[in-house]
Amino acid sequence: MLRTLALVVAGIAAFALAGTASAAARINEPAPEFTLTDSNGNSHSLSDFRGKTVVLEWTNAECPFVVKHYKPGNMQRQQAEATANGVVWLTINSGAPGKQGHVDGAGANAVIEKTGGKQTAYLIDADGTVGRLYGARTTPHMFVIDGEGVLRYMGAIDSNPSGDPADIAGATQYVEVALAELAAGKPVSTPVTQPYGCSVKY
Amino acid sequence: MPAFRLATAVLACTLPIGAALAESGPVRVDHATVELVSARLAVAPGERFHAGLRIRHDPDWHTYWINPGDSGLATRIDWRLPEGVAAGPIQWPAPHRFDLGGIVNFGYEGDLLLPVPLTVDAGIAPGTRLAVAAKASWLICKDICIPGDAELSVAVDVVAPGDAIPAARPEVAERFIASMAAMPRELAGIEARFADRGDAIDVVIAGLPAGIDPEALEIFPVEAQILASAAAPAARLADGLIGVRTPKNDYFVGLPERFGLVVAHGRGPTREAWTVTAVAGAVPVLPDLATGPVAAPASGAAPAGTGSQGLLLAMLFALAGGVILNLMPCVFPVLALKAMGLMHSAHDRRLARRHGLFYLAGVLASFLALGGLLVALRAGGEALGWGFQLQLPWVVGGLALLMLAMGLSLSGLFEIGGRFMNLGSELAGGEGDRASFFTGVLAVLVASPCTAPFMGPALGFAATQPAAIALAVFGALGLGLALPIVLVSFVPRLARLLPRPGPWMETFKQAMAFPLYLTAVWLLWVLGRQAGVDALAVVLAGATVMAFGLWLVGRSPSPSPASRVGAIAALALAIGSLAWASGREAPQAQSSAMAVTAHEAWTPARHAELRAAGRPVLVNMTAAWCITCLANERVALASERFQADLERHGITYLKGDWTHRDPAITAYLARYGRNGVPLYVVYPRGTGDGEVLPQLLTPDLVSQALARAGSGPAPASPAQTRN
Repeated sequence: MLRTLALVVAGIAAFALAGTASAAARINEPAPEFTLTDSNGNSHSLSDFRGKTVVLEWTNAECPFVVKHYKPGNMQRQQAEATANGVVWLTINSGAPGKQGHVDGAGANAVIEKTGGKQTAYLIDADGTVGRLYGARTTPHMFVIDGEGVLRYMGAIDSNPSGDPADIAGATQYVEVALAELAAGKPVSTPVTQPYGCSVKY
Repeated sequence: MPAFRLATAVLACTLPIGAALAESGPVRVDHATVELVSARLAVAPGERFHAGLRIRHDPDWHTYWINPGDSGLATRIDWRLPEGVAAGPIQWPAPHRFDLGGIVNFGYEGDLLLPVPLTVDAGIAPGTRLAVAAKASWLICKDICIPGDAELSVAVDVVAPGDAIPAARPEVAERFIASMAAMPRELAGIEARFADRGDAIDVVIAGLPAGIDPEALEIFPVEAQILASAAAPAARLADGLIGVRTPKNDYFVGLPERFGLVVAHGRGPTREAWTVTAVAGAVPVLPDLATGPVAAPASGAAPAGTGSQGLLLAMLFALAGGVILNLMPCVFPVLALKAMGLMHSAHDRRLARRHGLFYLAGVLASFLALGGLLVALRAGGEALGWGFQLQLPWVVGGLALLMLAMGLSLSGLFEIGGRFMNLGSELAGGEGDRASFFTGVLAVLVASPCTAPFMGPALGFAATQPAAIALAVFGALGLGLALPIVLVSFVPRLARLLPRPGPWMETFKQAMAFPLYLTAVWLLWVLGRQAGVDALAVVLAGATVMAFGLWLVGRSPSPSPASRVGAIAALALAIGSLAWASGREAPQAQSSAMAVTAHEAWTPARHAELRAAGRPVLVNMTAAWCITCLANERVALASERFQADLERHGITYLKGDWTHRDPAITAYLARYGRNGVPLYVVYPRGTGDGEVLPQLLTPDLVSQALARAGSGPAPASPAQTRN
């Protein structure tokens, strides 16, 4: 019983800690600033793209859920359409060295070449700092940040959490919808969804 | 003809065996073996039975529950059923948590069976062989994840009702039994409520089986996007109430009217689980959760840590609190008596020391006994706090009678063997030792309601600690209480400062009777509030009878047997009055005896309601037997200025009365690391956290705190608590 009470106190302390620890990305609040190096050794900061809409895509080329969207070309199509409309698309790999899907610059470029990726840049976050900052937990895991740096969408790539590429056709592509709504000056109708996929291999 | 029939029968028997080809059997997939199994090889028309998906995971691989948690995917079964067969939903056994680098999932490993109820139409003809088939899909993960699927089938024969039903494979039957045993059960009487706390959601569950250990509880949200997946510690808030605060899910979008939980308890084969539906509670069961924040009280002392530093600090506070107790009005008369005893023995240093030590032993023994009792009762699940002994009317009444008896003795009505309370000249004998010891006991008994400043945090700390540490804190408190007298008895120079014995002592002795009478009056007033005016009258009658008995005893130096019998009978009657009184319960106090200022009674619901509306609130936890509380109310919480401040800042004044036992208030105190009253918390306008005020209030301090609360959330300071 005393231990229980101790637990109440400990729990209370834990709540306080949790409050600060998960001060990650919050919807409709400024997206956390970060700087990462891309597959070609160039440095990019989120603030470099102020004024433009930015998409963050967490990836792991060996994850079946990422493959689900790359193999039929769903992800590349969205990347191409977005960047054509002036959107910045940053693919981020937070896989730790030695874990599945981790790449260095050359490895990332090989993936881009193989898949025909149309992202603005492929950023490498091998220590997982930015992934944790955003609370990225699956691959794919998508974030959309508006021109003022405010987070407007976070969650799944689409509405059908399955590993079957055949399900893409009938699913709502959330990022696509969010980008269209932002471009039209409208609020994002579905700003938060539950992401699905493999866990990020921190 | 018979031969033909026999042939038909043989054919009928052998056919199903040939049709066994329709069964897929176990299928090896990536990192698992999957199979569709049936609990029954045959069913009668109209029957309900269970089929199931069996997944035998490779070691360290897992698949997912209906809510997979932070990542992952629930296993799916898409049925391909013959006409006349219908499938229900998957029955999910209680899941387990998997934490991969902070990404927390819910699922299963090892040999898993997901049962599904199937019903067979009443119109299906016996003799039919049903090919029960399904496409199962899942995500299997270790540190990497692989989605998988398989087309599976199992055959089930339809037989005429009453026909013998062949047994399923023992291995399969065993899996069904194990799976059903791991199923969360509905339990009548389980109720749960939840409330939104901004960043977190509080859930309070009532009606779980008695004797569960909150530390062994695991709570799983059935729906995604409400609660965070990481394990949140559950705590017993009061008898039969379990509370758990969970941060909101990162993908939280909104709260439904109700959501489901699976609550599991224990590990291994004895693990049990229950389904719980949490309902939005306009009336959350426990208010302390409503206030959310909680942390170290203003002094910052006690519940901060369990380390040796926290213990040392708590013991220091307890020591200081004990010293201050000496000056409390309820303790002083007893100590005055003790000091008189010392005056008598001051001429003999050895004797003085001896009495000091016996007094110390008495104080320590009773503090440890009270502390031990508190610890033991708490271990038994009682929601008690410090001062609990005064929540029992018979204890209060008993103390009142004791005070009266002592007062009467000082007034000269009687003397026990001429040596009551060290007053005689015979101090060397064992009786003097005993008197010293019991003076210590008495000091503790009467001191307990006067929770001095510094004592609250220390006792709060004590209550949250393992028994040994708790007792160390109680011991330190006792040492503090005994310290002044022990010092006087050990340092002759101090003793010499006391006035010399003389005829004035008889006068002093008689004068000291009056504080004792007043103490008795106060205790009787408390009793009246606890047990009502009828009980009070009975105890007063008992007191009169007791006085009569004592008068009989004291009338002559050597009382006759008749007067002895009379005295004993009187005492028995007095004690009987206590027993009668303790059975009474006063109508719950709505009297204004304790307060001059308009206030509302504190209830969890009212508290939650006001805070939900963002209204500033002053909470005052008090009790009729708490002198510090009453002093504070008189000094700082009753003035016109206080009333005006409340009105100016629009602050609602909620007062919780802990005179009687009240688990909700006990839980609220615990939330603030306290274990006794008073406790004052001011909540600011809006959603800010409560500010704990010191245990000794001044009008200025209260006025400033009310002004801060009225103007909105206060900036963070050590005295603040955060969410």
